[in-house]
Amino acid sequence: MSVRPPSATAPGVGIGLRQPHYRQVVEGVAALGFVEVHSENFFADGGAALAVLRETRARYPVSLHGVGLALGSAAGVDPWHLDRLERLVQRIDPVRVSDHASFARIAGPAGTVHGADLLPIPFSDAALGILALNVETVQERLRRPLLIENLSAYVGFDDDAIDEAEFFARLCRRTGCGLLLDVNNLMVNAINATERRPAEALARCRAFIDALPAGIVGEIHVAGYDDAGVLAIDDHGSRVRPDVWTLCEHALRRFGPLPVLVEWDTDVPPLDVLLDEAARAARLVEAATPMPEPV
Amino acid sequence: MSAAPVLPSAAEGVAREAQRQRALLAAIDDAPFDTAALALAGDASRRAAGLDAYRGNAAMLAERALKAVYPTVAAMLGAEAFGRLARMFWREHPPCRGDLGAWGDGFAEALEANAALAEWPYVADGARLDLAIHRCERAADASFEPASLDLLASVDPALLRVRLMPGSAALASAWPIATIHAAHRHDAGGFEAARAAIAARTGECVWVARDGWRALVHRIDAPAWEWNRRLLDGPDLAAALDVAPPGFDFGAWLADAVRLRWLRDVVQVDR
Repeated sequence: MSVRPPSATAPGVGIGLRQPHYRQVVEGVAALGFVEVHSENFFADGGAALAVLRETRARYPVSLHGVGLALGSAAGVDPWHLDRLERLVQRIDPVRVSDHASFARIAGPAGTVHGADLLPIPFSDAALGILALNVETVQERLRRPLLIENLSAYVGFDDDAIDEAEFFARLCRRTGCGLLLDVNNLMVNAINATERRPAEALARCRAFIDALPAGIVGEIHVAGYDDAGVLAIDDHGSRVRPDVWTLCEHALRRFGPLPVLVEWDTDVPPLDVLLDEAARAARLVEAATPMPEPV
Repeated sequence: MSAAPVLPSAAEGVAREAQRQRALLAAIDDAPFDTAALALAGDASRRAAGLDAYRGNAAMLAERALKAVYPTVAAMLGAEAFGRLARMFWREHPPCRGDLGAWGDGFAEALEANAALAEWPYVADGARLDLAIHRCERAADASFEPASLDLLASVDPALLRVRLMPGSAALASAWPIATIHAAHRHDAGGFEAARAAIAARTGECVWVARDGWRALVHRIDAPAWEWNRRLLDGPDLAAALDVAPPGFDFGAWLADAVRLRWLRDVVQVDR
């Protein structure tokens, strides 16, 4: 089969559609490039949430961002999940479909279990093979390319053998998918890896972005993180931190204008706060001109 | 010259990753796991902090996802007890799908089997009612087809089926589950009536059906419950009428079913 390559869709800035803002978004109070939803929240056969999504789609492009495909799972992709996702894609005609480079499904002694989390996979040939196979399965079914998001991971593995940026470059080359570059996830990982040395953390993130081939990034995510505990946690529960804005700007300079999503999933604030963050992202997108390719 | 490294075959690599993934889920679940297969990097404190981050997320998700399906049970038990039960249910009956809205079947049976809840035997049926409401609100959308009622006057009842709205459910309990539900969900003044009905062990028959986007809980009498429950099995109308409970008035029921938007349509079936 052939899938369309990741398209250079018109960049814009989007926010996640969350329940407290349903009414305002449906009424079209916000000037947005797109609206993002978590696909699984709309897997039901019918009901109010799906009706809200249909009304939202009549006003805005919608990006379907999954959290449950578990594409890194050695147990494979759940056919039930794929059926539901395909039906939702047909219903909504999204501008983009994405999920994460993570696993959650295992075949256990009592049947298949889904861990309901974005669990990390090693950067190894074996994990890349599993991820690529599952991505291809989904793309074949949906007849469109996916964007795969880099993860915030709280554990790593002794046998990580491939540089993370190279891992995603190979995945995109092998499957035709694109990368959903979450710069907040990069920052959280770097803070934890450097034991909170901010300058070093930022340098690591910039090096990751600079190591990515041009043309594979299809969308950028920004969000807030929680840095109060033992580890920095990607909790999407506050304003975007200055260091994450810095990375977003760096990525936009590196790759040129791209769609940017402001994520906010816990302690969801009034819509005005989200729109204020989106306006800041929009200024960065407008100002972005691609840097020359490093030689 | 040194020997070339022996690389695992693709199948071996997949098997090894499957083993690692089982180990990580077990570690997050605080169950025994294969440390060598997991091969976590970093020192012990870093590994423990990482696993704790995932454990915290699982506990939060268990509580939040189950509360979305069982809001009345959560209100009945209080946050602390409900959270404890949710985390236990997550370990014993983990999700098998990537949509947590589809997780939670079997919670009523788990509550029923929990000795600590023996004093409150109505909690399990309260959970059954919550689950019925949750399913009803996620069911396919449908609208009433009034023109289909014309078939009742022109077609042999043995060739007709009366279809109720998708997601509708019939429940019968030895406890006043609708009264308890109403007190917790929208009738704060109803707690006294709920306590009195529990003390009197007043059983209730309940019909759950959607009105617009919301599922409503209707208290119905036993004949109507028996009739509705039978219709859900999809018999032809003649067969359903043959075994209708004594005293059941189809005409009166039909008027109520139209008025309350329980009825979807009447369809002709092939014989």
